[in-house]
This record gives sequence, structure tokens and C-alpha cells, in this order.
Amino acid sequence: MSSQPRAFFALDFGSTTTSVSVLGRVGGRWRLVAHTAAPSYFDVDSMLAGLLAGIGATDPEMLTALNSGDEPDIPVLVSTWPRLVARSTPERQIAIVAGSRRQRRRLETAALRAGWDVVAGSADEDDAVVLSRLILSTKTSAVLFGADHVPGGDEKRHLPDLAALVAGATRSRPELTVVLAGGAAVYESQFAALMESRPEVEAVSEPEEEQLENEIDIPAPEPSADEAPPQTKMLARKVAASQESAFANEASFVKGEAPDEDAPAAEASSAEASSAEMLDAEMPDAEVPAAEMPAAGPRESFSIDETEAGRPPAEDSLASEPAPAAADPDPIATHADTRKPATLPLGFQVSDGPAVATHLLLAPDAEAGQLPGDALQEVLEGLRALPNDSRLGVARSIASLAYVLDRTIEVVEVGMQGGLVARSDPFGQGHFTVASSRSCPTDGSFAPSSPSEEVIDGVLAWSTIPLDRHRAMDRLNDLRLTPWGEADGDGAVFRLAAAKAAFGRLIESMPELAARSMPELVVAAGGIFASLPPSVVALALADLVRRPGVCQLTVDQARILGPIGAIEDEDERRQLLANLADDILMPLGALILPAGVKPGRNAGSLRLKAASSVAEIELHPGAIQVVDLPPGRAARADIDFRDSVRLGKRGHHFTVDVGGGLSGLLVDLRDIPMRISDRPDSRRSALDTWQRGMWPEVDE
Amino acid sequence: MTVVDPSVSAGLPVELARIFGRRVLVFSPTIRFALGPGDRGLVSEGDRVVPGMPIAERTPDASVVDVGRLTSVQNGKSGAADGRDGAHDESTSAWRDSRFDEAEMRSRILRATTMKAPSGPRPERRRPPSPGKWWMGGDERRGKPAKGKPAIRVGGTLLFETEGRWRAAAGERHEVVESPVAGVVVSARNAVEVTIQAVGAAMPGAIAAGEPTRGYLDVPRLTDGELWASALDIGRSGAVVVAGSRLSGQAISRARAMSIRGLIAGSVGEGELRDLEASELRQKASLAPSAPFGLIALDGHSRRPIATPILALLAVLSGREVAIVTDPPLLIFDVAEVPLPELPPDWIRARSGANAGREGRWLRSAGHYRFRGGVYLEAAVVRFVEDTDTTIVPVMDLERFIF
Repeated sequence: MSSQPRAFFALDFGSTTTSVSVLGRVGGRWRLVAHTAAPSYFDVDSMLAGLLAGIGATDPEMLTALNSGDEPDIPVLVSTWPRLVARSTPERQIAIVAGSRRQRRRLETAALRAGWDVVAGSADEDDAVVLSRLILSTKTSAVLFGADHVPGGDEKRHLPDLAALVAGATRSRPELTVVLAGGAAVYESQFAALMESRPEVEAVSEPEEEQLENEIDIPAPEPSADEAPPQTKMLARKVAASQESAFANEASFVKGEAPDEDAPAAEASSAEASSAEMLDAEMPDAEVPAAEMPAAGPRESFSIDETEAGRPPAEDSLASEPAPAAADPDPIATHADTRKPATLPLGFQVSDGPAVATHLLLAPDAEAGQLPGDALQEVLEGLRALPNDSRLGVARSIASLAYVLDRTIEVVEVGMQGGLVARSDPFGQGHFTVASSRSCPTDGSFAPSSPSEEVIDGVLAWSTIPLDRHRAMDRLNDLRLTPWGEADGDGAVFRLAAAKAAFGRLIESMPELAARSMPELVVAAGGIFASLPPSVVALALADLVRRPGVCQLTVDQARILGPIGAIEDEDERRQLLANLADDILMPLGALILPAGVKPGRNAGSLRLKAASSVAEIELHPGAIQVVDLPPGRAARADIDFRDSVRLGKRGHHFTVDVGGGLSGLLVDLRDIPMRISDRPDSRRSALDTWQRGMWPEVDE
Repeated sequence: MTVVDPSVSAGLPVELARIFGRRVLVFSPTIRFALGPGDRGLVSEGDRVVPGMPIAERTPDASVVDVGRLTSVQNGKSGAADGRDGAHDESTSAWRDSRFDEAEMRSRILRATTMKAPSGPRPERRRPPSPGKWWMGGDERRGKPAKGKPAIRVGGTLLFETEGRWRAAAGERHEVVESPVAGVVVSARNAVEVTIQAVGAAMPGAIAAGEPTRGYLDVPRLTDGELWASALDIGRSGAVVVAGSRLSGQAISRARAMSIRGLIAGSVGEGELRDLEASELRQKASLAPSAPFGLIALDGHSRRPIATPILALLAVLSGREVAIVTDPPLLIFDVAEVPLPELPPDWIRARSGANAGREGRWLRSAGHYRFRGGVYLEAAVVRFVEDTDTTIVPVMDLERFIF
């Protein structure tokens, strides 16, 4: 390869599903060209080859263009195109010890939201044997010992013994990571002596390093909240300005002038060079501050088309020029293995590598942070997750997307090892700042390991097929053993119930969401949603996002938000998402969800005015009604309610702009919160009625 | 789940290679015995173990004991103020008496077979007190002489030291854990774990419960893939019995009552597992120890018959000694060579879905296919053995066997 590739692969290695996508520069901007997903035991290279073969069969000119005009050789492309990789972090267990029950609960909340599998005990509830058992269990990989910043009377007297206990247990298990939170940090000296006698942290072996370098530019640790670029448009402008000056210095380099011959080839693939390539791709926009690039469309509707259509297509002239020599693969690496061409470097600085390996961490107490526990959650997330963890990547991408689209976004991701619920709000003057919060508990998994009775209750509550408790538990456990098994028929119905139950647990893990307004955009992510019909996913979202308002429902069908979240540079991520937002979020439809609809025969009427059609329906309390509105269409809905309802504000008449989707426009006139009979039969019947309306194929 | 091993899939059609390859046998697996506070390993790293050899000692009723002040032992003599180590041998032998002959006999056998004997606790006694170290003591050792009553001896592992005083997780009652397999000790840490690299081949299971156990493999005749609970009689005492497609609570209770060492089945329900766990806890709480009992389910929780290639393999091994281990779930045969059944490469089995448990041959790929519920999945055309017609099945519901 003599030129810079104009495409790359985005790979999401989930614990159950591997998703692969091809992203390429088409028409002057990055586009999602193709994607597929398969069980994680499938061979990735054959998936990529199949994907490229599909592109070649459908549009051979495009494949040639993506290969910089060269005749495509699919095996070579598979091995040389850069890969943007995200991975699910396997479940890890943390043992929490605290002086009091009160403190234990606080620490538990932070650790659960950070995605840890938590076992916990406190000195006022458990004896030293029980607490030691938690720490000495081989499933435990970290210990969180915490106290208030100024320890309270209920915990203070226990702390010296607890510190000795934790220090003692870590002598038996020196591989444990110990986190001292809040007032527990004063016992650091007891652990410092232990740490000195520990063996060095295992380094990544050379072959692994090579492999990582083939996949990414530079393995770098995940930036902490402090290190990450601030999500403000003001600062982004400053960054953009500094980048412009840097860009001026690198312009000759970007335009193909030979770099310093003495410079080692490895430097060519450094982050700066990669950024330069990205800037090259976005050069037509370089004069515009990055923050203003994605002009926000009307906030009432989801219409990225408008935002992108308004922008002139990026010039493609530079991209067609000979690529910088800097991007050529390392000649040494090429000579080392002539059979397999080296992977080209990616145009982004990407997080990758092993999880943080440390043995002693000092952390803030469980009350510190913007929201209580945020600061500790951040530390624990960094400790648990791989730098390119796909779940945290989704959260980062959503924060960037909220900025790009200038919309409030919530994402719900349900996976095998856990789930994620995150919210990002642009706020402040000009919406230059994005506030984000998230929770990724392990029991957000659709099939948690060792499901509790509450988990089974949740599944039964959403199941439309009659199941006894034991049968439900067996099916849930089997779903964990073979997550891709029985994905059709009754299996699909059961998976939907499991996904909804997980969704419910995720919402419960972030109770502050209940007080927030309905987001403008809701994104469903995770393999379990990707495998279900879109209308059913839309119904699941409507069932569980029970806040009055209007929102657009979408699904991350290609599961690409995770890999994009692995891009370290906030600005690069935003630019890429500005290009891709239209492609990666599959619109399911719009949801109108009023609160306070009184029972009766008629709740009012809705008149939907699209560009070429007008539809009018009568609204029925307690029902979920669907109006056809295809994807890509925008419309204006005039709603007249018989009684006063809340839809953002209280009133009788509302006019809202809505976007179309695969399910159309959903008008949900059920109660908020949803009230269904507690009797299993009645509840199942009600759920089944709503479900059949959205999923007629279930009876096939 | 792992990426398909290219060497394993070599020579197969690409579409067939996309079917999940179930590895029926693994060799020299590493198994683990989890320990807790109060438990100690009786072996050390590098030791060779044979089936039945004590490898760990558990303290089922461990509680916190205030040990008092301890000082380092020097020159092999007890330097402790309480002379604790002097009491060690004496008290240890109190619960070792019952096993003495057997242990001595094993030790002789070991010497005869030039195997390295387990190192035992002796070197540990010379170490200064530290968390995890074995400790022995009684009430009188803590300055509370009990007049007219026999001294209560407790033993366990040290936990931590505060202000010069040690605390231990200790109890009166101890249980010896015997190795169900032959192998080499990879690691042994008091209160944490003993891991052993087993010798021989093993069959991975989906679920295991109970305790690691060992017995001769008994493959009775199954009726429609099932074994009636009444077939579990006293004649099968000491056996690991292949019990068909699913284990019932009645079969488990009966097997334990008949001193059967273990059960192998295609599936076991979560309810039965909970019953077994509760029963194990009750058994441990009683003073009468029972023979270890374990079970292994090869497929999962929903009812499925045992796959015929696996059943054939078990039938060939019938009568041989096998072991059930729970971490990870494995059925281990310590035989040098396992006779493998011959299978056509396109032999497949439905592991889930409406056809779960049925076997047949893969014919061709059906591409993306619309299944019930409007779900699109990659599909394959297969012919199940008892059918004349072909069936279209989601590829993800199928498995093929890799030996």
C-alpha cells in the first residue's frame, strides 16, 4: 500500500457478539458503508472479508474508491485497513468493606454504577471471617475500603481493625488492587509496606504489543475525567485554534511532502500524524470552529439530514493526493512478516491496551463529586474497564453526539456482562457545555449470572408467555450459556422480556433520571436490541422511558458507538460523529408521551401534517397508537386533548415536530408511571395486547 | 466462547465452520479448590498428587478467635509466649488419627513410586506469624483455663494483627479435602485456593454442583434418554452414574442416599441445584460427614438428551475411574488415551431452540432467513436423523463436535 487508506474497520468485540463495520470516505465525508454482527466465536477476518465481498458485489466502484483507486484485493484489505477496536470488559468483582452499613451502601452504589460485580460487608454487620472471605475469594480482583472524609462515629472505631484485616488479606492475595476511599486513606502506610514487596506489574508481552500496535496507533491509558478534553465549545475553539497552528506546521507533511528522512518510521504513525490525516479529511471545515461545524437542526425533531445537507460537501481533492509517506506501514514490520501486510495506522488516537494495573489507589469518599459518588465512580470505572471498553465508549460517544446534535440524549445499552444507561445534556449559554452522567451496573445484563429472585420477578413481569419461576430461571440461565440460542419464536419473546427487565434495572440504577425531563433523543444499543424487530424495540423504549414529552427513538444498529468512543480526542470524535450521525442511528420513530390522560372513550385527536399528506386519528386513553411516518420524513403533529395534560408543559393543545422511523409515530396514552394489574394473567394479557399491535409477526 | 480455531476448522466449508465448534475433550486441565479463612492447603507448589490424597483442610465453622500476642519462632523452636507450636503436633494428630493409617500408606506408596511427597505444614511452622499462617490453640492458650473440662482446641488461619494482638479464623471441626484427580499442584495458598494441573483428559460441562468427587463410571441403559430414579439403587454405590437427559430432585436425593458419588446428565434445573446446595449445607452442619457427591450437566438447564457422540464416549469409558470437579465444571478421566468415536465432519446437533437435542447432518447454508417472530438469522439446511425432510435451522442454534 502506498497511499493512505480511505476506509477503516470499526470492531466491537462484545462478550456475546462481534460487530464489524466498514467506514469509508464517500462523497467527501465519512460514511458507514456496511456492517454485520455475528456470535463472538465467529472468525473476525472472515466476517470482514465477507463484508468487503458484499460491498464489492454491490458497488465495485465504491470499493475501488475506498481503496484509493487501486484494484481491491480483499485479503490484503482485511489485513491492512486500520481497525478501530472496542471491547467489552469481562465482569470483575470488587469486595467492599466499610465500618458501617450506611457507608457500605454508599460505596456499593458507586461501585455498582461503575460496573463492578459487588460483594460487600461492614464491620457492624459482619465479623472478620465474613469480611475476609469476601476479600480472599478468588473471584475478587479488587478491594474497596472506604470511610467518610471525616469518619463518623458509627464507623470510626472499626477502621483500624478493618485496615489491618484488608492489609492482612492482601498479603495472602498480593494480586489484589486496594482502593482506599475517603478517610480510609489515612491507613495508606499499612499498605505501602506491602506494595514495596510486591512483584512488578506484568508487562504486555511482545507479541501482544505488536498485535496492539498493528491495530491501533499508540496504546494509551484511558484518560481520566481530569485529563480528558473539556467538553466545552469555548475550549474546543481554543483547541481548534492551536490545532490550526499545528496544522500550518504540518501542512507540508499532510500534502505529501517528504518528512524528515531521519525520523523513524514509527513516528510517522504517531498521534500527531494521525491527527493530521484527520484534519486533512476535514480541511474544508477547518476554518469553521469545530464547535459550529454541525449546525444544529430544529430541536423538536431529529433531522440530521438538514444539518448535513446545509453543509457543502468536503473537498475530496486532498484525499486523492498521494498519501503522506508518514502513514506508510513500518518497513521493518513489513519485512518481519511478508505474508501478512502490516495494518495501516488509524487516523485517530485511540485508547487500547490492558486495564489499569495498579495495587493501591487513593480515591475520594463516596459523597464527593458533582453528584454524590461521581468522583469515586470515575476512579472505579477507570480501574475496572479496559481503556477501549465499549460500554464506556458508548457513553463517551453519546456525550459527543449530544454536543454535535445539540440535543439531550439518553442511551440504554443492554449487554451480556452488564448494561449502561447514560444521559448527556448540552447546557449553558449557547449549549457549549455537555453534562454527562452514567451508570453501568452488571445487573443491567439481560442474563445476569446467578439471577436473584428480583431479577426473575422482573422477567416474569414483562413476559407475555406463561412461565413458572423455575422455568423462567432455567431459561434465563440458558440464555447466559447460549446467548445467541433460540433467537426466534418464543425465544425472541423471552429475550424481549429479559431485555425489558434489564432495562428496568438500569433505570432503577440511576434514580436521578426520574426527575429529569424526557430526552430529545433516546438511543437503544446492544446486541439484544439489534436482533429484535425495530417496532418491538420502539415499544420497549416506550414501555420504560415513562416521562412526559416528545422524543425521537433510535437504535445503534451497527454497534459503532463503542468503537467511536475509543477515540481519545474529543474533537476528532465529534468530527467523526458529525459525519456519521445520520448513518449510525437507525430511526425507529418518534414518541409522544403525555401525562395525565384521563380514562374514557376519547382523549382527543391528533393531526399529522407531512410534506405531502395529512393524517388524523382519534386518541384513546390507555392505548399506544401508531401513525405511519417513514424514516427520513419530518412532520408536524397538532394534538388536541380533551383534558389538560402534561407534555413538557401543561395544556390542551400542542404542536410538535416529529421525525419518522421504521415504526412511525408512536402516541402512548398509557399511564405515567405505567399501571398494569399485579395479577399475572391480567398483566400478561395487557402486555400481549400492546405487543401484538407492534409485533404481528409473533403469531407466525 | 472463543474465535474458531483455524486449524480446527481447516478443510471445512466456510459456512460449516461458522457453526459453533464444541470441544468435547480438553487435556491436562487446571482445576481449582477454593479455600476460605480458616482453611489451609496440605500441599505446596510443585507437589504431585494422586487421587484420594489430602490436599486441603477446611474449617467449616470458622469464627473469629482472639489469638493474643505472637512472636516469631526461631531456630525451629517455639518462641511463642503461649508455646502454641508445641501444641500443634499434639492437637493436629487429634483429628488426624482417623486418617493416619491411610496417610501413612499413601506416603509409602508415594515413596515407592518415586513421587515427591507433599511438603506438609512443617516448613510453615518456622515462619513468623503472618496472615494466612496456620494456627493452633485453645481456651487455655488465651489465658482462660477451663477447670475440669477438656481443653477445646481450635485451629485455623491467622487473619490480621492489631496493636500486637492477632486474630484468627479458627474452629474446632475440620474436614480434609481429597484430590479427586492425579496431577501437579500449581499453587497452594492457605485461605485462598489450591490449584492442580490434572493429568489426563477431561470433558467440559456447562454446570457442576456439589463437591469434587470420584468414582467408577456407570453407564446404565437409558429409556428414551432418561434414567428412572428407581434405577439408582445401592448396587451403584461408589459410582458416577450417567443419568440421562435431566436430573430430577428425586434422583439426586436418591443417589446421595445410595452413596452414589456423582451424576452426569444433559441438563439440570436451577431448582434442583438450589435443593442440592441447601442439602449440602445441612449435611455440612451435621457432625456425620458423608462421602462427597457431585453432579455435572453437560448442556445447561433446559431438558436436552446427552449428545450421542458424548454418550458413545462415556459408554467406552464405562467402568473406569472418573472424577467430577466443579471449578471449572469438568468430568476428568485419568486415562492416557481416550478412544474417540468417529464422526462425519458435517455431523451437527441442535443445542437450543425448538429442535434442541436433535442430531443430524448439515447440508448447506440457507443464508439469511426469516424465522418465526419476523427475526432474520443466518440459517442452515440440515437433515435430522429421524427425518426424511430437511429443516432450516438458525446457525446459532447448532453445534458441531471437535475432539
